[in-house]
Amino acid sequence: MLARLGTWPITLRVALATAALMVLLGMAASQQVLSTLGRLQDARLQEYARLHVEGLAVALGPFTLHKDVWEVYDTLDRAQADAAGGRILFTVVADDRGQVLAATDPARAPVDSPVEDFARDARPTSDVTAGNGDTVVRVKAPLTMQGREVGQIVTELDVRDLVAQRRTAALALLAGNAAVTLILALAGYLVVARMLKPVELLAHHMGEAGGRPHPIPEAAFPRTDSVLARLLRNFNGMAGAIDARAEAERRLAERERFVSLGRLSSSLAHEINNPLGGLLNATDTIRAYADRPEVVRQSADLVDRGLRHLRDVSRVILEEKRMDRSGRLLSAADFEDLRLLFEPETTRRGQQLDWRIEVADCGGLPSAPVRQIALNLLLNAASAAPEGGFVGFRCHETAEGLEIVVSDTGPGLSGSARARLMSEAPAEPGGGVGLRLVRDLVGGLGGDIAHDGSEGRTDIIIVLPAKGARTC
Amino acid sequence: MNRRGFIAGTGAALGLPGIVRAEAAFRLGLTPVFLDNDAAVIDRLRTALSASMAAPVELIQRRTYQEITATILDGSVDAAWICGYPFLQHRDRLTLLGVPVWRGQPRYQSYLIVRRDDPATGLADLRGHVHAFSDPDSNSGYLVTASDLARMGTGPEQFLSRSVFTYGHRNVVRAVAGGLTRSGSVDGYVWETLARVEPALTRGTRIVTRSEWLGFPPFAARADRAAEARVVRFGQALQGLDASPAGRAALDLLLLDRVEAGDVTLFDGIAARMAEIAGG
Repeated sequence: MLARLGTWPITLRVALATAALMVLLGMAASQQVLSTLGRLQDARLQEYARLHVEGLAVALGPFTLHKDVWEVYDTLDRAQADAAGGRILFTVVADDRGQVLAATDPARAPVDSPVEDFARDARPTSDVTAGNGDTVVRVKAPLTMQGREVGQIVTELDVRDLVAQRRTAALALLAGNAAVTLILALAGYLVVARMLKPVELLAHHMGEAGGRPHPIPEAAFPRTDSVLARLLRNFNGMAGAIDARAEAERRLAERERFVSLGRLSSSLAHEINNPLGGLLNATDTIRAYADRPEVVRQSADLVDRGLRHLRDVSRVILEEKRMDRSGRLLSAADFEDLRLLFEPETTRRGQQLDWRIEVADCGGLPSAPVRQIALNLLLNAASAAPEGGFVGFRCHETAEGLEIVVSDTGPGLSGSARARLMSEAPAEPGGGVGLRLVRDLVGGLGGDIAHDGSEGRTDIIIVLPAKGARTC
Repeated sequence: MNRRGFIAGTGAALGLPGIVRAEAAFRLGLTPVFLDNDAAVIDRLRTALSASMAAPVELIQRRTYQEITATILDGSVDAAWICGYPFLQHRDRLTLLGVPVWRGQPRYQSYLIVRRDDPATGLADLRGHVHAFSDPDSNSGYLVTASDLARMGTGPEQFLSRSVFTYGHRNVVRAVAGGLTRSGSVDGYVWETLARVEPALTRGTRIVTRSEWLGFPPFAARADRAAEARVVRFGQALQGLDASPAGRAALDLLLLDRVEAGDVTLFDGIAARMAEIAGG
């Protein structure tokens, strides 16, 4: 229950807390009021009882001393008749032996009967209280004459009105407190709801379901609270900055592809230029030996192979340029394309390329980001490895998904390069964005990056979790 | 010389005409019958007697019969309305000035009363209970019941658990009606009068037995002053009360017919009961 309470809206929690505090305050205040009322009532009752008993004691002292039954009765009877308010219900007077001399109701306390029946639960006037809930309380007091106790008097007082007064006060307090608590809780709810409206607005626009933050319309800003308005304005600025950053990243990634191609351009130019010499020689041969069909056929085959190679290179370049993020899924052809694009680079640098594709299932991964990841890492490896060095590319399936390992015999990743690839730390300016883009793309696919550098060889291991079974 | 004579004489000697002309009030002692707390009745009686005597009359009240008897004997009052019992107790020193006539005769009865719902049918049923008497010197409020007990071979101390003296017949009715005592001895005239003027009080009681008719409480004066003009004039005023409107009004309030000269033989019944107690 308490755990669930924490998930309740803050407006409701504040209202409930207000109500709880009001209830506590109400209880404390009510207790104080009732206690004061009780003290006042008791003081009044004790004063009344004292005056009644003392008045009677003065009148009854001599009669009690002489055991004058009639005079005691007559005095009690007249006092009862004269008593205002009817608080005195019953009075009994006994002699020094505890035997009743007379009572206002002789049927209840006959002459000579023991007074103990009435005195047992009676209290002295200074102790009498209406706080026990009894509607009738008994008071007892000694009757003294010249310092000598000549008897005792027991009086029953009607305190129904005082008890009712307490009950009425308690009910009034309860009702009043309940009403005030309800009103304040409701008011608290409304005030807090109003105060927290901009905060809720902020929370809503921050993207509660994991979405991207989006700006809050200016019209929804609070007019009265400049602090909150400034907060919301700052939030809008922040949301705009996040959008701008995402857009910049998107453009950067787009550009990175051209950068990759740019870096490959000289190698690719060789790929195009080299066959061109052979093709021109072939055309010269065809012209020179046009009458020799077997020479023409051989030359035409040569031209055909050269043109096909050129076509493949052009297709791969165009493919890489056109690649978009929502495109098709990864297939074995993508690895062939990558090899076609990258291999001339290693050839140009005299490096040994170990290319191993050992996958039957491409895991339903998207083609474009995987190609970008692999190409960036391969270009990085080719740059890192020395002339005549080694560059390895291995792709295989593991229990977690697709694992791509790019190896080189370079000096290993520098500190800043490792930070860009392995951490979220802000990239230092001037270091390029290739490795950071790899990290972002791997993160976007839910994958992990590991780095292993030992024995003059650096391995970058990318594990991409499969999205579903798909044959390569 | 008594006190008033002294004051009058001193006043004359000092030349105080107001005091000289003002005749000393005639002082009448009253036993607390039923009228002890009825200021209107007392005032009406005083006014009527003053008018009849053509002299101011002062009414003196005391709590007990004994006190009033003492005041008449020591001369503190000039005359008193007393009970037949103390009248007979001091018969040799007192003289009769008049006897009220109630319901056509100068007699009344003593009632033995209990609470309205009490099952007692006679005095014998009240053994061991608390009983209210009016006054130890009252005929109807004590002597009758005491002598009845004497006839039963017992007395109040032995027969009753406790005797409560209320010093007033009305108080006896209150004691019984209020439940303080189970039973009471009360003046029949007072009970009947209360039944007229305060029916709520007597309604709480029930008459168990009535005594024989006995001499009504008389007005008496000291025998040695019977010939004094003031006393004689007071006796005449009493017996002529019914002749004046004021006197008639006072008698009406007291529910009495008139006051007659009376005769000591009226009290023979009381004397007989006194003898029974003395004999017991």
